[in-house]
Amino acid sequence: MIRALLLLLCCTCAWAHQSSEAYLRYRVAGADVEQRLDIALRDLDRDLGLDANGDGTLSWGEVRGRWADVERLADEGVRFTAGGAACGLQGRGEPQLDEHSDGMHAVLVTRWHCAVAVHELAIDYRLFAATDAGHRCLARLVGMTGEPLLLQPGAGPQTLKAEHASLGEFVIEGMAHIAGGLDHVLFLVTLIPVAVWKRDGKGWAPRAGARGAFAETLKLVTAFTVAHSITLGLAAGGVIDPPSRWIESLIALTVLLAALDNIRPFVPGPRWAMVGVFGLVHGVGFAGPLKDLGLRGAELLRPLLGFNLGVELGQLAVVALLLPAALALRRRTAYRRWIVPGGSSAIAALAALWLAERSLALQLLP
Amino acid sequence: MKALLALLLAAPLMAPAEPFTPKSDAEVVQRLPYRMDATERARRAALARDPAQLPLALANARAALDRARVLGDPRELGIAQAALAPWWQRAEAPAEAVLLRARVLQARHDFDGGLTQLRGLLARADLAPELRAQALLDSAAIHQLRAELPQSRALCEQLKLLAPLPAAACLAELGSLTGNAPAAAQALARLSPGRSVPPWLALMRAELAERMGDPAAFGLYRQALAGADEVYTRAALADWLLAQGRAADALALTQGSEADALLLRHVIALRRLNRDAAAPTARLRDSLAAADRREPGKHAREQARFALDVENQPREALRLAQANWAWQREPADAVLLLRTAQAAGRDGEAARRELARFVRELGWQDARLNGLSNS
Repeated sequence: MIRALLLLLCCTCAWAHQSSEAYLRYRVAGADVEQRLDIALRDLDRDLGLDANGDGTLSWGEVRGRWADVERLADEGVRFTAGGAACGLQGRGEPQLDEHSDGMHAVLVTRWHCAVAVHELAIDYRLFAATDAGHRCLARLVGMTGEPLLLQPGAGPQTLKAEHASLGEFVIEGMAHIAGGLDHVLFLVTLIPVAVWKRDGKGWAPRAGARGAFAETLKLVTAFTVAHSITLGLAAGGVIDPPSRWIESLIALTVLLAALDNIRPFVPGPRWAMVGVFGLVHGVGFAGPLKDLGLRGAELLRPLLGFNLGVELGQLAVVALLLPAALALRRRTAYRRWIVPGGSSAIAALAALWLAERSLALQLLP
Repeated sequence: MKALLALLLAAPLMAPAEPFTPKSDAEVVQRLPYRMDATERARRAALARDPAQLPLALANARAALDRARVLGDPRELGIAQAALAPWWQRAEAPAEAVLLRARVLQARHDFDGGLTQLRGLLARADLAPELRAQALLDSAAIHQLRAELPQSRALCEQLKLLAPLPAAACLAELGSLTGNAPAAAQALARLSPGRSVPPWLALMRAELAERMGDPAAFGLYRQALAGADEVYTRAALADWLLAQGRAADALALTQGSEADALLLRHVIALRRLNRDAAAPTARLRDSLAAADRREPGKHAREQARFALDVENQPREALRLAQANWAWQREPADAVLLLRTAQAAGRDGEAARRELARFVRELGWQDARLNGLSNS
């Protein structure tokens, strides 16, 4: 290529290595603000010359020894006001590090107290303005959903709203999660048609009245809800964090087993117990969108409540659509011979494919 | 059911990453991509005190662009731009500054922006001959990148008197792309009759040999790499090795590299060898996402390759390869488009036919594109 001549223009292919990014995270409680700034050690080395022994690597000692300079650079690079007034510095966190996709970052935590309760922050970002024109900072408020605020050094103050997403937003988020997750919906779709029957030896028999079917559905939905609420809370709070591939595979397995159990019951014990255990798996799957918010402790309560509520509403919608039809059809031969076994087989086949895909990381379905 | 519960509990319960304090001062926490020497530090310090010193700023920007090429690190483009800051917005900036400005834009995939800068520069009557030659060559390269070969040829014709050797190489290469590969290969070989071939010429000849399906490509790539160890060359050789089914060699070549272009080849090689690639794949996915967030749609080449060779998502790969083809049309882009079109089966049929027409009209010769006619 002619580009070879230029000894330069090769860049278009060689890219994808990340441009420099810093990360700002604000935690606001009343008039108190906690700011966490993550700056790449490579960028700090460029401006401050951290590599004291010039060996091409940074040791923790080299970084820690210059921490005061790092703090000064950060203080000059990031200033914020709340309601037009500066806030007073209350304290600083210990020198710490955190790994990001483009390498290790210094973590600088500062705690501030402002004159009045904080509703929005005006951030004047100038870090590396004179040395790296491509540097950017992603700023977000803890608990804020959606895209972070992109800060360009030297572009003037930019506003970060310090209002948490409302309960309603989390409810909608939860409903969207159910509507978008075919596997969760299919799990419910698998349970409801059989809730109008009861176990009869090796097969199923129609329940006499609608009351029994309602009671069974209530038991199933309650077991599912209680179980997935537990694991959703644990996973969102970071207490458990199993790899998502495992969970996705297990969710597919729950759908598969439930569908097979429809065709010929084999899972021992009452159905609500099975649904409860399976619900534990689904709960971890629900937690994804919440985990990214970086909330801790009591801050998780409202999002968790709203999100869970949304998930329940989504489920109830599915139940409300299916249960009346199942009730009406429960004694029909076609329902028993064709609709339930046929539908369950189709769901089982799809779930088996999902299971293979997810556990083996293949792509079988479009 | 019990098994399911056991499985759930047996899954490793990892806590999410949190900030930490290393246990000892001796612990290495970051490898640096290069060591800054004393001259560089002094230059930066001087520039920090007074940014409006043109020679220092140019030296800084050039050094950053050089590192960008060697390391494949887009940070360096921001550093070059920062060094040129006092002249960045000025239309009547010194010619050297405009030339570097155009290169930064071009390297950020802003081809139109780069060409506009260069056109303005070439319109200056008092432009020094060596700067004119450089501007002609830079413009020719951008046009060639977009397969605008007549425009590229016209610029290289103008270059003949100013810089005969690059002009000859440029015209030979354009000839190879428009139906005369063997003659072009001979012409390029004649340009460096001695034993020592400049790395850029070795690279040019290696790429032509690869297009002709000539195994001499390997030796030429090696020669280019020995002369100038740059990400582009290393990645090109890794691709050649992967295409030859020599994944183990490609793996060795891309071992321990920081640049994502090489990480991508590394991951592909690991997968071909059925080795565990989970950790580097996750790192690459993050990095590609970050690059796309920063410059949406401009990294489609790597993304397409990732979707095709790592994620096994041929349809997504085809979509990305087509997006890439809309603004970047080098032989490697055509090969990528063909591979994704073939992988996508029926969905790729239209793309394959269109590409075949394009290549036929241009007279492009490329052994890797032979699959185009097998319909």
